[in-house]
Amino acid sequence: MSQNISVNVHHLTRVEGHGNIVVDVRNGKIEKMQWQVPEAPRFFEAMVRGRHYTEVARITSRICGICSIGHTLASVKATENALGIQITPQTFKLRTIIKHAENFDSHVLHIYFLVAPDLFGAPSVFPLVPTHTEVVVRALRMKRLGHEWGSLLGGRTTHPNRVIPGGFAEYPTEAELKNLKQRLINLQPDLDATVQTVLSVADKVPSFERPTEYMALSSDTEYALYDGVIQTVMPDGTKQRWPVAEYRSCTNEYVVPQSTAKYAKNKMGSYMAGALARFNNNYGLLHPEAKKLAEALKFKPLCFNPYMNSVAQLVEVVHSVKDSIRLLDEVLDAGYRPEDLAKPTKSGRGQGAVEVPRGILFHDYGYDNNGMCTGGNCIIPTNQNHGNIQLDLEALVPKLLAAKKDERAIELGLEMLVRAYDPCISCSTHYLKVEFKR
Amino acid sequence: MRYIIGIGNYSMADDSIGLRIVEHIIQNGLDKGFEAVDIADEGTRLLFYLKYETEKIVLIDAVDLGLAAGEYRLFEPKDVETTKETQELTTHEGDVLKILEFARNLSYPVPLITILGIQPGNLEPGMELSPALQERFDIYLKVALEEIRKDG
Repeated sequence: MSQNISVNVHHLTRVEGHGNIVVDVRNGKIEKMQWQVPEAPRFFEAMVRGRHYTEVARITSRICGICSIGHTLASVKATENALGIQITPQTFKLRTIIKHAENFDSHVLHIYFLVAPDLFGAPSVFPLVPTHTEVVVRALRMKRLGHEWGSLLGGRTTHPNRVIPGGFAEYPTEAELKNLKQRLINLQPDLDATVQTVLSVADKVPSFERPTEYMALSSDTEYALYDGVIQTVMPDGTKQRWPVAEYRSCTNEYVVPQSTAKYAKNKMGSYMAGALARFNNNYGLLHPEAKKLAEALKFKPLCFNPYMNSVAQLVEVVHSVKDSIRLLDEVLDAGYRPEDLAKPTKSGRGQGAVEVPRGILFHDYGYDNNGMCTGGNCIIPTNQNHGNIQLDLEALVPKLLAAKKDERAIELGLEMLVRAYDPCISCSTHYLKVEFKR
Repeated sequence: MRYIIGIGNYSMADDSIGLRIVEHIIQNGLDKGFEAVDIADEGTRLLFYLKYETEKIVLIDAVDLGLAAGEYRLFEPKDVETTKETQELTTHEGDVLKILEFARNLSYPVPLITILGIQPGNLEPGMELSPALQERFDIYLKVALEEIRKDG
């Protein structure tokens, strides 16, 4: 083979943040194959040090504009764990519902705006406006619901201010919860249409498999998003669990020369977090309607195709809607009412973990006797996925070369692979740069 | 309905100016006759405030106007052209001008929008505004409140 390939994707588009794909093939031999993350660290762990426990979640929610609900929840859970704060069953359920809102909102954004253009053969969502208007309008209608669903419980979707240690600062009315439930029921036509849209392009999802370890929160009673223990499933189906407090022994962060972000690994060279990891770990606890969709798509665990992460997100979209309807029923039937905040009972160190759209998220804080933060640690799912992305790329490139794909096809295949992980590398600045018209 | 909307990244120093003004308005109960909204770094959420009943929006954002740090301008989207190379429609490096163009192409009702653009001095990670913006914070607040209350 005498193939020469040079792929240099600087700041891959349609991912959140900056990442580069660099491939250099000379005479058929791979000389360089790197997933690079060049972004600067943001020092949130330093920012929370010396802050009162009531302030910490407000700061860490700013880590991410998409996963700010998840960061808030992981943060208050870690704080509650450290300070011995026991939340009520109603709070647990309301927080699960707002977690569903975030995953729904983010998955809709990823499926429709970031992945769909590849499957429709468009460079971005913009050219789809005239050609697939109904699809784009539907996506925005669904995103709007996700936004209002999260805002109702969180006060606002981006950086929620009602979710605080001990419970909620404010509550929606019973009528508002009933209205939310009805809106989720009324979403069915859009869910059906979304499934049809995905089915129409399902044959364009690349087939590529690389068995790996999959890590997610897991629970015996529900498809874990808000709470659970750490679980991994190995390629042979073996599962193992760890308490969240032992997260460091499962994540084993390390540094690599080509990246400013830390990588992670557990039992294998890398592991995957995210919707596919949750699907592979917790399939049996999906809502029956979500399982029905997976069956229609012939999608079942264990699935080793990382491109199917986006399809797992679609399954979770259905699950989040249906499970939220169930939870709203339970909350309303149990005599919904605003509750007083639960109070701290001790000081010390505590951990919290939730499943954000891109995977398992850990927060860990220490507090002194005055409730002041003495230190923190956050492990973000995208960082946990970098190692798996690298190994996927290393496995995929030889297959694409063997299939005699040209440079552009290889580049697209690699871009789509990284996008499938829905990486959220960091939220950078959002300023405008303009010139005044004369 | 009228809205003051802040956009930006709270943890990237002066990029957060819009969010901090909105936060100040809410914390001090100044949101009378309008709603103050923090859409943070999810620029697509601007679309959800483009409604027939929306009378006016004042959007506060850090804007590279080629001025000294802390200086500001009030302008409408039609007055300017974006010169920023951004990625596609993601929340990262969002460009509200492109989101407004997207909205128009989808026939969203785009109301009167005034942008309070503030020249940033520091866009590195950090939870504080640069001194130039801190000193003028009350001026930006006054300008935003006057603008949202103005007819037309």
